[in-house]
Amino acid sequence: MKTRSLLSPASLVLAIAAFSASAQAQIAIGHLADYSGGTSDVGTPYGQAVADTFAWVNKNGGVGGKQLNVDTNDYGYQVPRAIALYKKWSASDSKVAAIMGWGTADTEALTGFLAQDKIPDLSGSYAAALTDPEGVSGKAKPAPYNFFYGPSYSDSLRAMLMWAAEDWKAKGKAGKPKFVHMGANHPYPNAPKAAGEAMAQELGFEVLPPLVFALAPGDYSAQCLSLKSSGANYAYLGNTAASNISVMKACKTAGVEIQFLGNVWGMDENAAKTAGDAANGVIFPLRTAVSWGGDAPGMKTVMEISKMSDPTGKVYRPVHYIAAVCSALYMKEALDWAAKNGGATGENVAKGFHQKKDWVPAGMEGVCSPSTWTDKDHRGTLKVDLYRTKISGATDGDLNDLMAKGTIKLEKVKTIELPRKPELLGW
Amino acid sequence: MAGPALIPAGDFRTSYAADTTIFPTTTSRNFAIIGVLLLCLVPQFLGGYWLSILIQIGIFSIAALGLNILVGFTGQISIGHAAFFLLGAFTSAYISNNAPIPVFFAIPLAGVVTALVGLIFGIPAARLKGLYLVIATLAAQYILLDFFSRAEWFTGGSVPASANPFSIFGFALRGDRQYFYVVLAYVIASYVLVTNLMRTRDGRALVAIRDHYLSAEIMGINLTKYRTLSFGLAAFFAGIAGALYAHYQLVVSQEGFGIERSILFLAMIIIGGTGSIMGTLMGTAFVVLLPETMEFISLYLKGGAIDKALSLNTNITFLREIAIGVIIIAFLMFEPDGLAHRWRQIKAYWKLYPFSH
Repeated sequence: MKTRSLLSPASLVLAIAAFSASAQAQIAIGHLADYSGGTSDVGTPYGQAVADTFAWVNKNGGVGGKQLNVDTNDYGYQVPRAIALYKKWSASDSKVAAIMGWGTADTEALTGFLAQDKIPDLSGSYAAALTDPEGVSGKAKPAPYNFFYGPSYSDSLRAMLMWAAEDWKAKGKAGKPKFVHMGANHPYPNAPKAAGEAMAQELGFEVLPPLVFALAPGDYSAQCLSLKSSGANYAYLGNTAASNISVMKACKTAGVEIQFLGNVWGMDENAAKTAGDAANGVIFPLRTAVSWGGDAPGMKTVMEISKMSDPTGKVYRPVHYIAAVCSALYMKEALDWAAKNGGATGENVAKGFHQKKDWVPAGMEGVCSPSTWTDKDHRGTLKVDLYRTKISGATDGDLNDLMAKGTIKLEKVKTIELPRKPELLGW
Repeated sequence: MAGPALIPAGDFRTSYAADTTIFPTTTSRNFAIIGVLLLCLVPQFLGGYWLSILIQIGIFSIAALGLNILVGFTGQISIGHAAFFLLGAFTSAYISNNAPIPVFFAIPLAGVVTALVGLIFGIPAARLKGLYLVIATLAAQYILLDFFSRAEWFTGGSVPASANPFSIFGFALRGDRQYFYVVLAYVIASYVLVTNLMRTRDGRALVAIRDHYLSAEIMGINLTKYRTLSFGLAAFFAGIAGALYAHYQLVVSQEGFGIERSILFLAMIIIGGTGSIMGTLMGTAFVVLLPETMEFISLYLKGGAIDKALSLNTNITFLREIAIGVIIIAFLMFEPDGLAHRWRQIKAYWKLYPFSH
């Protein structure tokens, strides 16, 4: 009895000590995910991949011996909810070392706060406005703590326009090709609008007035009829896949002859399956060198990470999943560097991003495109891999089968390496 | 609701002043004062999360109070309240960014500007009733929101506008702990103001219009004037609340203020009790706390046995939204008179305890 009464307070103290030690030995990370909002179609695989990757990192020893404490929140693509979460993450008693962000509107709203509180944010927004850390170009506010993995929306669109100009010549058509920007009146589709239209003019396109369609799926026959009557040849789809599909389907029905150019979130395997032959021939940029099951040494790591939420290993993961694995692993390695160089604080993590040149996360060789972030330029890469969807039959059935049989194919069209022009920084 | 049937025998008043008093007893007044004093101490003890919830309840309850003047006291309806809220937010941000006016003054100014716009959109209310008025106010929602998305000089277009932190004469308040007091002051001022408004001649005119507009007109009440005024008042409080929200968030985005937010404002006053000032506060607290509670429950469910058995994963989010809807329906079925009514019944129960039968 006596030993017990002596033991239990001792064990309690031990337990508390162990608990507080484990609480201290964690690195807090905020994660904004959109599972229910306007971009949930692509936000779900991306968010799942971020969660899976950090769970996998934790399983394999964490960062510098510390576990990552990832606070994943579905914010429904709403700026006010993102800001409310940010307030929690930036409070002094629960400050996070880094944030895995998402949308363009919320990332831009947070940019000033991030710089003030010194918290790096690797976003799912690829807006060029986030690439200028010092604001020297005068085109955007300084964004020293914003990062993203992949070509910016503007650079992707520039590359697609360069392809389109060549395509027009190759087809031997006469006259000026007509280009139109399409998307919701929202920061994300609007982000590359001015840059794209300027580039189109430079390349000799006739630029038509932009067409607006909502971020949610709907009936966009009216937009297709305007495309038809204006005689547009190339249309940029600025929204995410589900909404873009609605346009493609409506335009197929209306018999519009047009080449669609999607943004990085504008097309994926799930979308191609849903849209069927309406999605045939869409050009879009891919952020990773291969898609799911592709032949690359790094794909093994991706498959392992995928097993964190799918132990069977049978689920087909779309391109956004793989891009998110790359993004989360860049963050992990930046955290690694910070942990070794003064501790995983926001300021050190941001410095961690600036350490390597042509950086590929360990174990991801052949999957993630080599990226370089410097303290003066946050354009991680200017290389744009353009792909084309090819749909050769009915798309019912399992996505794994459809991809294996080649009913849905992502064909590589061209790799365009844009020059790193200083005047285009932040635009 | 608070009909004379609930007033017990022997409880009568001998003067008009006693009949319109805010606090029926000294104890209830003391309780209210103690409550406010306790709230003043709250930021010292509460964590950031709960503080932000309280601030949200405060801000939204001011907007809901405005809507309650319109719906609960005048018997009109509006499903464009969120647009006025947003107008107040953008106006205050615009004024404090572009004019040498401190935020302290920008907030009431934003209220006045919103009230003026509210008066314009209130004009159809002079002629329309019921469902027709609903559609007319729907126009306000869409016209204003479309204006916000296009007027780049005013709102920054589709990019969220930034708002300055609360400041007066160079002294800036930073952080939730300090901002809580600003919101608390506005909540108390608004609630005292509206409670008193309902005791004046104009307030009684509004109630008369709600109860029977024809009789009210025969008695000499100018229907057009008071119906339009009621829209202006509702917009004023929405504008104040919006301005408070802008300087709390420091960023104004038009996202999340579509028609669904307008309906949420209606839900707040219906759940709290239309025509009840205290009920407005209770209803707002309910509507703000419900999703947070569901968030806790879904967090608790995540990774648990139920989650695994049904393989819910990310679908928990949708379950949460469904549950919120179901709870609101159930609430309206079993508590149609609102939380204010339930609160009175609880008070009556304890007053008579243990001889309630």
